[in-house]
Amino acid sequence: MQPGVRLFCMRAAALVVGVVFVPASGAMAAQTYGYMVSSLSTATWNDYATNCPQNLNGYGLDVTRRDLIAIGFSKEEAEKMTGADADAERLPRDVAQRLLLRATVNGKPVSHYSAPEAVPNPPVIESVVGPVALGFDLDGKITGTEFTDPETGAKIDNQLWRAIGCSENFRAIPPALPFTEELTWALAIDSAPAWMMSITGEDLTKDGPVTVTFERATKHLERDANGDVMTHATYVVDPMGRSHNVLKGEIKGGFLTVANVPKFYLQSEMPFFPEIELDKAQMRMQVMPNGKLLGYWGGYYDWKRYAYMITSRPGSGADTLGLYHSLKRFADATPDPKTGQNTQISMTYRMEAVPAFHSTVDGKILASPAADASVSAAMARRDPEVKPKAGPSPPRAQVK
Amino acid sequence: MRKFNTKFFRRALCVAVNLLPLTFSAVHAAERASGDPNATSLRLSPAQYKQTIADVFGTNIVIDGRFEPEVRERGLLALGARWANVSDIGIERYDDLARGISAQVVGPNNRGTLISCKPKSETAADDACARMLISKYGRLLYRRALNENEIATRVKLANDAATTTGDFYAGFAAVLSDMLISPNFLFRYRTVEADPAKPGAKRLDGYSKATALSYFLWNSTPDDQLIKAAENGELQTVDGLQRQVDRMVGSPSMESGIRAFFADMLHFSDFETIAKDTTYFPRYSTKINDLAQEQTLKTIVDHVLANKDYRDLITTRDTYLTRSLAALYGVPITDTADNGEPDRFIKHRYPEGDPRVGILSHVSFLALNSHSARTSPTLRGKALRENLMCQVVPAPPGNVDFTAVEDTASETLKTGRDRLLAHSSNPVCAGCHKITDPIGLALETFDAAGGYRTTENGAKINTSGVHNNVNFQGAADLLPLIRNDRALTSCVARKIYAFGTGKMPPRGSAEWDAIEKKFGEDGYNVLRLMRQVALSDIFYAVPPAEVDTATRN
Repeated sequence: MQPGVRLFCMRAAALVVGVVFVPASGAMAAQTYGYMVSSLSTATWNDYATNCPQNLNGYGLDVTRRDLIAIGFSKEEAEKMTGADADAERLPRDVAQRLLLRATVNGKPVSHYSAPEAVPNPPVIESVVGPVALGFDLDGKITGTEFTDPETGAKIDNQLWRAIGCSENFRAIPPALPFTEELTWALAIDSAPAWMMSITGEDLTKDGPVTVTFERATKHLERDANGDVMTHATYVVDPMGRSHNVLKGEIKGGFLTVANVPKFYLQSEMPFFPEIELDKAQMRMQVMPNGKLLGYWGGYYDWKRYAYMITSRPGSGADTLGLYHSLKRFADATPDPKTGQNTQISMTYRMEAVPAFHSTVDGKILASPAADASVSAAMARRDPEVKPKAGPSPPRAQVK
Repeated sequence: MRKFNTKFFRRALCVAVNLLPLTFSAVHAAERASGDPNATSLRLSPAQYKQTIADVFGTNIVIDGRFEPEVRERGLLALGARWANVSDIGIERYDDLARGISAQVVGPNNRGTLISCKPKSETAADDACARMLISKYGRLLYRRALNENEIATRVKLANDAATTTGDFYAGFAAVLSDMLISPNFLFRYRTVEADPAKPGAKRLDGYSKATALSYFLWNSTPDDQLIKAAENGELQTVDGLQRQVDRMVGSPSMESGIRAFFADMLHFSDFETIAKDTTYFPRYSTKINDLAQEQTLKTIVDHVLANKDYRDLITTRDTYLTRSLAALYGVPITDTADNGEPDRFIKHRYPEGDPRVGILSHVSFLALNSHSARTSPTLRGKALRENLMCQVVPAPPGNVDFTAVEDTASETLKTGRDRLLAHSSNPVCAGCHKITDPIGLALETFDAAGGYRTTENGAKINTSGVHNNVNFQGAADLLPLIRNDRALTSCVARKIYAFGTGKMPPRGSAEWDAIEKKFGEDGYNVLRLMRQVALSDIFYAVPPAEVDTATRN
């Protein structure tokens, strides 16, 4: 069996094991509302001054300056090459090559993107020290590494945010997304088959158990006249089923929540995300006044895959090495039995979804948008989305 | 091959173009001055121009440019074509179009199929080949055979251009451009000859009959078979005319004629200036303008070609939708096309009980007859009365105060009905609003983009009213009343005649009354009606005097 097929079968088997059985007698749902995921990004909490008081990481030019010093240039030479009059995009070719080929494999210089482990003395970037981040309690333990979730007040696990939250790439306050994620999501909308989500329950206007089903569509998202994702379009479920997830959830206390999902998997496309794959996944979502869903998905993800996603995106050249090693340092789950290095990291996504129709290939309508924007009083968002206050942009980092 | 000498080409055309306004003026002045009421001309519409080029040169030819604005008279652009002329800017536009088309015709992609003779040398003039091409295409473009003088003049021009440029094809392109800006192409003339069967009377000549037929049924130039029928006298016989009409009605090209008529009757040209406020209607993207027209035209063509009752277009549940249109309507549609493929039209039937029935629930009617951010029951009622029922709604006086109607944020006048009642309480306004508003208010559950709603500003929308002394509750009750209104069928019949002739049917004509009666007996079958009109004497009638005998409506 080919490796790719074997991996797919393993994932399919894991899904089968992980899916909670839904008794046939309880499966006759009175309501099923359809949505399309219209936005997905790493959940950020950008209280920069609190999170990153040393301001060591800086901006792109600051990173380049540090890298130049790391490969042997003096502080003065590095400042000259990245100073106000310099064009860091046009470093001398030999310098740019030395920066690129910082790794050494079998005695030969290779690209640090391909072999980040083979770079001597990799940079240690500043990590988040602030107390707040969005997420979920994934391990049920208090180890001292937790944040406090600003929405629920709970102690949560989000070591990915600790690892990358001081990087310029992830300095964004919603509705703005992290820069490279916003760029690649904008590209993905118009090409990648979209993700579908439906909520099924006896009465979605009240608290109670629900089934949340995810699929992949055959077509990409449609845009409306404003360039946003169009509501009320119809999407056909991809019959291949590679992104089929059936999850148990409940509506309670103003939230739609999903918990205890051994593995949540959505097939994706580069350069956006290679896939969405969360172990021990949890979700919470609410309905906005305009009928859209807003919420968070959390779980453990392979930290190397996340790092690979950063290096493969256009415009993400700044500090990829630093981010790689930061993610490795803060990985907090599933240790490799041989090396002891944790292979997964706790993380949280922020998502939005718009109402939509779902259909099978042969025209059966599986889900419809809710009748009106105030669809579900039980999970309607009553307060604005929690966000940190936007502060002034930090100054350039000092060279040390 | 030597490079195409654009400098000479432009110089040759410059002469032709500068003379053109004089030519136009001369032709039309001569017509008016002669007092000859039989000489009427109709300017080709943009749709007719494009269809003609596609039928003569094929669909590979891209027509990229703007046309002279059209004139709408009594609800039809076809009626306004009588008065349409060509302005200075219009000549430039036609010239741009002509040069673009002729360059493509002789270009390497199309030359193999469109230039059916091979010149002795590609870098020199060739009399015989030029003559063959000019005769062939001149006949199709001018809709008649060219006389020897016309051919000789153009062959000389082609030869001169070919010699100067060193390119045979450039020479022919110069002549083709000239023909495409000639009044003989841009205008359809009705020319007459003595009627041998009625001494002293006149009749349309064969070419004029062929042209009238072809632009009526196919919205395009006569094909070779029809021109031959004109030349050999077949169109002047009852059997011959019937043979050609039946051939044309049964042809796939008939769809063009049906589309052109209904696009004109339903004022689809207004889509060029329509825009919706995307703050309120984000699903109304710019492509909806084209999709909305196509939805209605596909629905109508399907209906007419299936020989169904015209009246049922008001109440049919069948239509076509794309994913974008369906999202705007708020209904599901399953499209299994591959990712990245464009939207497709898919047949859709609204279920029983659905509020959408008939073409009056289409975006093409609802959005077209609304403002950018709010509905207008008055505009919708007016459109139905005038466009589909041929009834006259007087224009508002110049000093009307629209404040109440436009105040969509009013705390007390929450719905369109409330605001209109406040506005039309003024006795100056009430008279006209009685004609339009009951109909328009029945459609108030459709917003300015065509989406369905049951409330406005939190208040429930009331769609009840009275039409022809019959109470109704909403569109579901009203539309059957409209369907059965005699004005609906009488109007479409009269407009179909007007579309073909450029004038309304003659008042008091026994033949026209018989045609209308037969329309009813045929189950209001539009195809049969068009056939009857095409076979009628009045379609080709040459009026004895210049007085406009058209019915005033």
